[in-house]
Amino acid sequence: MDLNLVLQSLISGISIGCVYGLIGIGFCVIYNASGIVNFAQGAFVMIGGMATYVLMTDYNLPYAVAAICAILLAGLVGAVVERLVVRPLWDRNAAMFVMILATLAAQIVIERLAYILVDDQPKTLPPFTDIAPIRLGGIAVNYQSLWIVGCSVLIILALNSFFRSTRTGKAMRAVSINAEAAALQGIPVSRMLTLAFVLSAMLGAVAGILLTPTQYTAFNMGVPFAISGFIAAIIGGFGKPLGAFIGGIALGVIQSMAILGLGAGFKNVAALSLLLLFLFFRPSGLLGSTR
Amino acid sequence: MTNSPSITSPEAHGLARPRTRHFGSAAVWVLSAAIIGYALVFGGYMATIVAFALIYAVFVSGLNVFMGLTAQVSFGQSAFAAIGGYTSAVLTTTYEWAPLPGMVAGLVFALVAAFLIGFPTLRLKGHYLAMATLAIGLITYEIAVEWESVTQGYLGISGIPPLGIGPFEAVSDRAILAVLSVIVVILAFAVTRIRRSRLGRAFSAVAGSEEAASALGINVSRYKLVSFLIAAAIASLSGSLFVHVVGYVSPEVFGLHMVILAFTMVYIGGLGTVAGPLIGALIISILPEVFRGMKDYQDLAYGVTMILILIYAPKGIAGVADALDARRSA
Repeated sequence: MDLNLVLQSLISGISIGCVYGLIGIGFCVIYNASGIVNFAQGAFVMIGGMATYVLMTDYNLPYAVAAICAILLAGLVGAVVERLVVRPLWDRNAAMFVMILATLAAQIVIERLAYILVDDQPKTLPPFTDIAPIRLGGIAVNYQSLWIVGCSVLIILALNSFFRSTRTGKAMRAVSINAEAAALQGIPVSRMLTLAFVLSAMLGAVAGILLTPTQYTAFNMGVPFAISGFIAAIIGGFGKPLGAFIGGIALGVIQSMAILGLGAGFKNVAALSLLLLFLFFRPSGLLGSTR
Repeated sequence: MTNSPSITSPEAHGLARPRTRHFGSAAVWVLSAAIIGYALVFGGYMATIVAFALIYAVFVSGLNVFMGLTAQVSFGQSAFAAIGGYTSAVLTTTYEWAPLPGMVAGLVFALVAAFLIGFPTLRLKGHYLAMATLAIGLITYEIAVEWESVTQGYLGISGIPPLGIGPFEAVSDRAILAVLSVIVVILAFAVTRIRRSRLGRAFSAVAGSEEAASALGINVSRYKLVSFLIAAAIASLSGSLFVHVVGYVSPEVFGLHMVILAFTMVYIGGLGTVAGPLIGALIISILPEVFRGMKDYQDLAYGVTMILILIYAPKGIAGVADALDARRSA
């Protein structure tokens, strides 16, 4: 097989993998704060791309301002989901799959609202920097891929210092280790849960904005990306942000290799088979301890 | 059953029912019968809607055994409906089998698949189980799309013959409704029997606490597998019924939409109750017809209703009726 083609696929795999990783980290942030797996994660990814598009075209905002507003909007929606859907169930000690269903229902509601408020047409955003791709021998690296990888790495570093150095970040980690003990130390556990949803929604929105120029966004694009993000989180060992990022890249690369070797139709089969392999043989993931 | 000491918390799973029926649960059955009766008498479009509702009621009954009685979670039951549906479709069109043997073959395939899948999958718990089953459902969907030589991909298979045994064929709306009603009643009866049998008590013990159940000598993994097999068999049956009633099958039928719809039905009806799947399926199928003018808002209304029910009435309609009977506050 043509080596250039393989390298080209590898690059696109890594860049989409970073996006999966960011979505996967969003799952981890909420899971660590509450033990909840938020199946509405895809909605935030959709809001990121859609809101940026709407703010740019209908309100003529500059790209960067629109993107920041979209991220803030997603954060707000995250807080609303937490307050209106998750909190009442949390207070009633709802079972795990009730929570899954409720967040899935929240996903459908947000999706439909986007459909009603905007429309059902796929939309795309311009690349962040519109310059011809860099040529390295026979392969072309477009700038959007570099933006995706660069922004993702920056976000990971920022998150890392947030969780290690700030009071709030440390409080969130304390809650994830033991919520009751954290509450005894005077940490407002319930506020941390809201904050986790806001943070995770903003991460999802960033992922959505980064990926929209390379693909497209539409009201119903959230679920497939949420599934990929979830797979990334499982591969990495659920609840481990760095693991989710590595898992995302692994998933992106394997998917693009499957497309290259087997055809585009096998993209999802490859991803889901990878998920099952990990669930059956190494459910604790790459970074998890073997139990 | 209500007096026997139980290690599970029966209320949480809606299992401890008095043997005698009371007003509330009877009302649920009467309402269901009235809707089906109306469709039988007046026929037409309503008959089509109710027929779909009954097929869903079959599917949801299977889900109810696995989720309601055994407290496991599967987002992938659509896989077994797809196996049943496609086996029936292929055997009755390409190979010109009669519907009944085709259905039995589908059942066998679904059971074999459920056995092979269930073995590694059911060891998982919580979110992992939910995700693994979801993946299985989605992979089956992808296979239905990609395996074009057998399934004809997105085009689907058409020209599937109607339900029938020998010279009798259920072609008219009323005949189809009658056949489906009989199947639903038989299933409801079977679920009642299962619930009160040794098997049902084992399911209930597993639902309450797997550790406690195994401490009592119950082989937890075996009963989970049995529950999964029953659910898969019922799902396969519903898939076969669907293709014969509609005469057509495509991958879209067994997508994620089917799973979400079925979950809404099982929760609206009441998880773990016998009448729940039927009344849930009927309500969820008929409601969109009531609000037909506002098509764009249908899914929105589904989502909001679902969230409200999960928060404020987690036991569903049949659950509330039972609670009224037991003079407990719902």
